[in-house]
Amino acid sequence: MKATILKLPRWMRQIGWRTVVGAALLAGIVHITATLAVPLLGPGNAFRKLQDTLPANQMVFLPPPTPTTQLLPFVAADALYAACRFDLASGSLTVSAVLSDPGWTLSLHTPQGDNFYVMPAQQLRRSEVSFVVTPASERLVDFGPRRVSGDDSQIESPVTQGLVLLRAPLRGLAWRAETEAKLRRASCTPVAPKR
Amino acid sequence: MNIVGSFLINVAAFLVLAIGGGLGTAWYMMDTGSRLSTRTLGPWVTWTTAGRPDADPYTRAHTSRNALLPISSTLELTYVASTDSNGGRLHSACEYAIVMEDPEIAWWGIAAFDGRGNLITNTAERHAFNSETVMREPNGHAVITLARDARAGNWLPIGGGSRITLVLTVQDAAWAAASVERGAPKPLPEIQRVACR
Repeated sequence: MKATILKLPRWMRQIGWRTVVGAALLAGIVHITATLAVPLLGPGNAFRKLQDTLPANQMVFLPPPTPTTQLLPFVAADALYAACRFDLASGSLTVSAVLSDPGWTLSLHTPQGDNFYVMPAQQLRRSEVSFVVTPASERLVDFGPRRVSGDDSQIESPVTQGLVLLRAPLRGLAWRAETEAKLRRASCTPVAPKR
Repeated sequence: MNIVGSFLINVAAFLVLAIGGGLGTAWYMMDTGSRLSTRTLGPWVTWTTAGRPDADPYTRAHTSRNALLPISSTLELTYVASTDSNGGRLHSACEYAIVMEDPEIAWWGIAAFDGRGNLITNTAERHAFNSETVMREPNGHAVITLARDARAGNWLPIGGGSRITLVLTVQDAAWAAASVERGAPKPLPEIQRVACR
């Protein structure tokens, strides 16, 4: 019985096994490098897209998402948003907001989009929330703590820069003004340095 | 074939396999994902560690590349569908029905986008429903109709002439915890194609 031999084109038969093995190894390196590089070097992440819109350490009420005002892809238009681009280079930051209804969330993100802290609205819990975001290095290096109210929780940020996002789903058009007013009350202010 | 020709063929094959293969597989894993990073439930796909600081590299690359700001998947899960329950590509030329059965979910939202994540222009200026805004049947279920032209009830306009992507967001810590173990505590809603033009 004759064995069936796959007849490759002549030019393919010129490719040596060392070439294939070497290419596979380099393909693996390229694959890993590209995957790890995208979050660090990719131009299209949410932080870079919002960077010009958001002044540092200031909560900004974002325009309600519409086909013409949408700032980020896949952002639901049945919600209003406020955001703060934080920069902890000069110290900690106090974040205050109201989380009044189910679906409301206050989330902290790294520039790569990782969500390192989130607080959802919950029934049976007070809706006004306030906490201090501190740089991760501060507790280890700075032995003189900054002036932080004893009432505020402290959230340690793994990054110096990032985003605070407050999302408020709309319950209907009738609640729009009330929801917007609550979002505009949210704040993001640097903690005054200790004297 | 002379030795120079053989050398050139080997160099070309090496570059194509190494660069093309490396970048192509990386792009696929970031864009579509695999069982390592995503979970598929009918037409719905979720990135299981989205938003978490310990997310796998493919999920982090997917998040960053698509300019997403996901809430940690320990609290909220985002399911994306680009096909109906029979595997057909979602398209604005067709009409779809989705039945939400949600009495135990704390909060959910469903939104329609074009294939690139942009909101779809429509005169009704309606792009999404959530558990607070949707109209319910007497049994508590909500039927959402995706169609180009107006429909009674929960009509979600999907414009004309483009591919559609649906995003279902479920915010419920118990649901999220159960999803890590079993995929989803309850079946996700089916996307039924009603008719096409």
